[in-house]
Amino acid sequence: MAGYIFGRIVGGFVTLFCVSALAFFATALAPGNPAAVLLGTMASPERVEAVNKLMGLDQPLPVRYGIWLREVVQGNLGASNLSFRPVAGLIGAALPATLELAALSLILAVLISIPLGLLLAQHPNRWWTRPLSGFVTLGISVPGFWVGLLLIVVFSVWLHILPSGGFVPINRNLGGNLRSLILPTLTLVIYLTPSLVRFVRVAAATVLREDYVDTARAKGAGLGRIMLHHVVPNTLISTLTYIGLQLGLLISGAIIVEIIFAIPGIGRLGMSAVLNRDYPVIQGVVLVAAAGYVLVNLLVDLAYSLIDPRVRVR
Amino acid sequence: MTELSSTTASTPSAVPARRRRQGLVSYLARRSPLALLLVSLFLFAALFGPLLAPHSMTDTDLSQANLAPNAGYWLGTDALGRDVLSRLLGSAGVAAQAMLIVVAIGGVLGAGLGLVAGGLGGITDLVVSRVTEILQGFPTILIAIVIVALLSPSLTNAMIAVGLAAVPDFARIARSVAIQLRDREFIQAARGLGLSEIRILLTETLPNMIGPLIIIASFDGAQAIMWEAALSFLGLGVQPPAPSFGSMLRDAQNYLNINPWLAITVGVVVSAIILGLNLLGDALSDFYEMSER
Repeated sequence: MAGYIFGRIVGGFVTLFCVSALAFFATALAPGNPAAVLLGTMASPERVEAVNKLMGLDQPLPVRYGIWLREVVQGNLGASNLSFRPVAGLIGAALPATLELAALSLILAVLISIPLGLLLAQHPNRWWTRPLSGFVTLGISVPGFWVGLLLIVVFSVWLHILPSGGFVPINRNLGGNLRSLILPTLTLVIYLTPSLVRFVRVAAATVLREDYVDTARAKGAGLGRIMLHHVVPNTLISTLTYIGLQLGLLISGAIIVEIIFAIPGIGRLGMSAVLNRDYPVIQGVVLVAAAGYVLVNLLVDLAYSLIDPRVRVR
Repeated sequence: MTELSSTTASTPSAVPARRRRQGLVSYLARRSPLALLLVSLFLFAALFGPLLAPHSMTDTDLSQANLAPNAGYWLGTDALGRDVLSRLLGSAGVAAQAMLIVVAIGGVLGAGLGLVAGGLGGITDLVVSRVTEILQGFPTILIAIVIVALLSPSLTNAMIAVGLAAVPDFARIARSVAIQLRDREFIQAARGLGLSEIRILLTETLPNMIGPLIIIASFDGAQAIMWEAALSFLGLGVQPPAPSFGSMLRDAQNYLNINPWLAITVGVVVSAIILGLNLLGDALSDFYEMSER
């Protein structure tokens, strides 16, 4: 068990190290000199040179990576090339909005998908099964961000009942905060739910075909009892790993939703950094998002190995 | 990258059987006519879009801005007076390019890696599996941000990111088929004839995994179009004034309260194309008997 956990943690660190190198070198090698961008087109070469030196951009790349990594480990992600504010501070300010949006959406999506998927697996031949499955396929095919635009058209433009964007921090006004998150959360839930429903349905249907389910049935157990004692626990275990894999979708989705609804989260921070070539911010955002992804997947793995001892043996 | 293929193709059977006897197209026409219709329409528009377009895709005419659908402009015009139908036809071509780039990168790299990992086993398998495991599910948008920051925003660069994200999908399926086939008689016969392992993989194993790979290509093609729209919408992909589903939606977002129909029209068209490809993937899974049902 200890060995398994240790292996997982080491794996997580290796992933993070690779991501950090990738984020650093990709942005450092990018065309366009940040100093020149910063000073504008009228700057003299000498001034660009001086600012380069000031920003440490005249050093060889591996040296810069080493310096950068040492600072990152100490929690210093550098300063924005544009505002000169510390990247860690910018990310710290943006993170709560993103986390709230992502957590709210994930919880709602799971609460909707699991019962729906179980229902579809339990009754494969009812009159409503086909339309509902069709609806799920349709949901998988609709681009998530377009759903966001549709929601704005319906609830903001036509009905005038919800804001089309903006964000109220949770510590300022809880009601306003939740109101500003209704449409973004709904968008993300509609994006995440269909594939989750589909996964739960397939997982539950597989369990229903197991021999031990037949045995239980032979012993006279009703469908409700079989679902509760066999199907639900086994389905939940595999769904947990699937949710870990879905995190990538959640992170991508949250970033896009932030842009649509003008939520000042790390997605918007990162996207404006890309368009402004603000490399320290890009590196910081990619690193923090990747760290979140690796960390949560690690937690999912550990939770999984606690629930299901067979995993550790593998 | 896609969550679809991971569920649908979890139990591949390398040996497509009975249904092979009827042709693929006639099977699809019976099993999923909607998929065939939508995908054919899409490919037709992608190939002949520029010839069919009634107006210019990029010429602006502010006197004709934000028109509702009418006799001259069947689907109306956008905020710069450009014909929506013509731009949609151009976008279909861009979407097809996106699909080609993603499937080419993901398919060649992924199938190659999976083939070698599954066919050779041992340490190769271990390394390849670990690498694809790390890439599997990694947020596509972060890969896109890094690549676009390194190169520049463009369709090709955005789709390179999506293609890389698609590698694990192809690798996983190719690996599991290669493992299944490793000890089959015809592979052993080839080995007995003294063919090298690489040669066996290319001439014996690869042809037997075309079906499963086509299924993944269909699902990941759908994902490619969705990501083209998303990344161009964010400004990381196709740049204005070139038409694409994503850049059209980006334009539409600024005029949601004046001209909501633009966003609705474009979204319905993209969704229909993606739906067609997903349904095609489902039908192909049934054809090759890889479906979960």
